[in-house]
Amino acid sequence: MRSLPKSLLEWRTAPTAIFLIAMLIVAGGIGIILQNEVTFRSARDRQAMVAAEVLAGSVTAAVDFDDPVAAKEAVDAFQVNPQVRYVAVFDGGGSMLAAFDRSGKRSRLSLAQLPAPPPTNYRVAVPVVSAGERVGTAVYEVEREAVARRLTRYVILGALAVLAALVIVTLGLAQAALHRANRELSERAEALSQANELLAEQIAGRAKAEEQLRQSQKMQALGQLTGGIAHDFNNLLTVIQGSADILTRDELADDRRKRFAKAIVQAADNAAVLTSQLLAFARRQPLKPEVVDLSQLVAGMTDLLDRTMGERIKIETSLERSTPPVTVDRNQLQSAILNIASNARDAMPDGGTLTIRVSEIRSEAGERMATISVSDTGAGMDADTASRIFEPFFTTKKTGKGTGLGLSQVYGFATQSGGEVFVDSEPGEGTTVTLLLPCSEPGMAVARQAEEPALPEQPRAEILVVEDNEDVGQFAETLLTELGHSVTLATSGEEALELTRDHDFDVVFSDVVMPGMGGLRLAERLAEEKPDLPVVLATGYSQEIAQSGSGGRPVILKPYRLATLSQALADAISGRS
Amino acid sequence: MRHRLPLLLCLIAAFLLLPAAAPGAISDTAVKAAFLPRFARYVTWPASAHSSGPIVICVIGDDPFGRMLNEAAASQQVDGRSFVVKRLTSASAASDCAIAFVDGGRTEEILAALGRQPILTVTDARSSGQRGVIHFTVVGGRVRFFIDNAQAQARGLTISSRLLALAIGVNQK
Repeated sequence: MRSLPKSLLEWRTAPTAIFLIAMLIVAGGIGIILQNEVTFRSARDRQAMVAAEVLAGSVTAAVDFDDPVAAKEAVDAFQVNPQVRYVAVFDGGGSMLAAFDRSGKRSRLSLAQLPAPPPTNYRVAVPVVSAGERVGTAVYEVEREAVARRLTRYVILGALAVLAALVIVTLGLAQAALHRANRELSERAEALSQANELLAEQIAGRAKAEEQLRQSQKMQALGQLTGGIAHDFNNLLTVIQGSADILTRDELADDRRKRFAKAIVQAADNAAVLTSQLLAFARRQPLKPEVVDLSQLVAGMTDLLDRTMGERIKIETSLERSTPPVTVDRNQLQSAILNIASNARDAMPDGGTLTIRVSEIRSEAGERMATISVSDTGAGMDADTASRIFEPFFTTKKTGKGTGLGLSQVYGFATQSGGEVFVDSEPGEGTTVTLLLPCSEPGMAVARQAEEPALPEQPRAEILVVEDNEDVGQFAETLLTELGHSVTLATSGEEALELTRDHDFDVVFSDVVMPGMGGLRLAERLAEEKPDLPVVLATGYSQEIAQSGSGGRPVILKPYRLATLSQALADAISGRS
Repeated sequence: MRHRLPLLLCLIAAFLLLPAAAPGAISDTAVKAAFLPRFARYVTWPASAHSSGPIVICVIGDDPFGRMLNEAAASQQVDGRSFVVKRLTSASAASDCAIAFVDGGRTEEILAALGRQPILTVTDARSSGQRGVIHFTVVGGRVRFFIDNAQAQARGLTISSRLLALAIGVNQK
C-alpha cells in the first residue's frame, strides 16, 4: 500500500510531462511556420520594393526624355523572373511609357486605367524621381508564391514537428510503460518473497507439528510397551505368587508341591522369554554369534515347524545349498523364523502353504548377503498394518493370543545382526517376510549345535559372589551352597577386591551392573592382581557387554538356570586348573 | 506688381499663337524646349565653371522656342538651382552659358567661336548638319538625340551614363 500513491503520481505526471513537451514541439513548429510566413511576406515585399525602386531609378532618364524604347528595355529586363507578372513605367501625366504584362492584357493601359492587382499578385508603385521632382511612376507586380506550394512547405514542416512530438510521446509512453512494468515486477518479487517467507513459516510450523506428533507417538508406543509388559508380567507374577503362596503351606503333599514348583519354573521361563524378546527388539540382547549355514538350519527346523503349523498347512522349502553361511546367534535366528512362521500360521486359519526360501544375493555395494524369506498364502495386510508390524506389542490378534512381541524380536535380531528385514504384503495376496543377513568371513567353520548341558558333577569350590542386589545375592548363595560350594558374598566391586586379597577363591561370580566398580572393571582389576583367578560375569542386560563384549570372560544371562550357572562355574574352575 | 503685367501679356500672346503652332499635340519644338533644362540633371560641369547661381541656358543664333523655353526653364530646378534663359546673337558673350542651343545658318561659325569652353552645346538636325555635344533629331515621330561624348570630355563635361543610354548614337572617340 505504501508504494501506491507514489506509483499513481508517477503514472499521472509522466504522460503529462510528455504531452507538454510534445505540445511545445508542435507549438514551436507552428511558431516557426508563422515566423517563416511573416519573414517570407516582408522579404517578398522588400524584394518587390527594391525591384520597383531599381526600375524607377533606371528609367529616370527615359522618363525625363520621354524615351519608351529605353524604358521598355528597362522593363523587359524583369521578364526573366517568372514570378514577375507586370512591370510598367508611367510618365508624370500617368501615360504609359513602357509596360510588360505576362498575361498581355494590361500592357497598353495608363496608370489611371490600371485595375487592382489580382489577389494572387502583389503590386508596388514607386515614383520616378528626377532632381527631386516626381516625373513618373514605376509599377512592379509579382506573383505571390503559390499558396498550395507554401502550404505544402508548411505542412511538411508541421508534419515534421508532429512527427517529432509523436516520437517524444511514443518514447515517453514506452519509458513510462517500462517504469510501470519494472514497478509491477518488483511488487511481484516482493509478494513472492513474502509468500516464500510465509511458506517457510508454514514449513517450520509443520516440522514442529510433526515433531510433536512423533513425540506423542513415541509416548504412545512407550505407554503401549510398558502397558504390555505390565500385563504380561502381571499374568506370570500371578502364577508365581499363587504357586509360592501354596508352597508355603506345611501340610502340602509332595507331588502337589512339585507341581506348583514346576508352575513357578514355567512362569519364570515365560517371563525370561518375554524379557529376552524385549531386549532383542531393543537390540540390546547379548548375542552369541556363530557361523550358521541357513539351509542346514531351516532343514533342521522342518519337523518343529510341521508340529507348530498343524496339519492344514503344507510346508515347502527352497534351499540353495551354495548360500554362504552367516554369523548370527543361532537361537535368536530360530526364534525369528518361528515367530514369522507362527504369524503366517495365524494368517492362514483355513490352511495354506508356508514357503521358506534360502538364497544368496548381492547388495548394491557388491556385498554378499544371504536371504531367508518366509511366505504364506494367507489374508495379507494393508500398507498401514505392514508399516506397524515390527512395533512391540502391536498385534491384530485377539487378547491373549499374541504378545505383539514376536515380529519385534525379528526386527531387533535382524538389525542387531547387521542385516535387514522386509515385509511384502497385499490384502488377499499373502505375506512374505524376508531376512537379509550379511555373510560370514570366508573360512569360518560352521559350528556344531551345542548340546544342552547336563548338570555336571561338582567338586567343592570356594566361590566369591559379587551382587549388589541383596535378594539375588542371597538366592545365588543359596543355590551354590545347595550345590555343595562354599560361598562368600560381596555387595560391591570394591568389597570383592578387598576380600580376594585376604582369601583365596577358586572363582569369582560377579554381576556386571553395580554402583561404583562394575563387574567388568572388577574383572580387569582382578586380572592384574590375581591373573589366575577366573571370573564369571552375569547380566540381565548390559549395554557395555552388548557393545564391546566381556573381554573373553564367560557371561551368563539372567535369569539363569541352575544347570547353566554350575556348568559355567565348573568350566571356569577347570579352565584354571 | 511691376512684373505681372508683362507676364500676363506674354501669356495672352502665347494663347493666341498656340493654335497656329501645334494644334492638338505637343510639338517637337516644345519637347526640345522641355529637354534643354533637363540635360542639366545628367551633366556635370568642371568645378571651375557654373558652380553657383542660376544655370544659364543660352539660345545663340535663331530662336525656335520663344516663350516655350522660358516656361520650361522656369518650371524646373536642378539641385535647388533655377534656370535663366539668355538669347545671344554671337558666341562672344557666351562665357557664362552652361547650356548653349545653337541654331540657324551660322551654327558652324558659332560652334567654332565657342571653342572648347565648358559649355553643353546643343544643335538640331532640322536646321544644321553641324553637331554640338548633343544633337537633336526626330526618329519615328519622337525627339531623340546623338551625344558626342568625346567633344563633351574635351569641354571638361561629364555626361551621365543614363543619358548616354538614351542617345540614339554616341561618339566615343
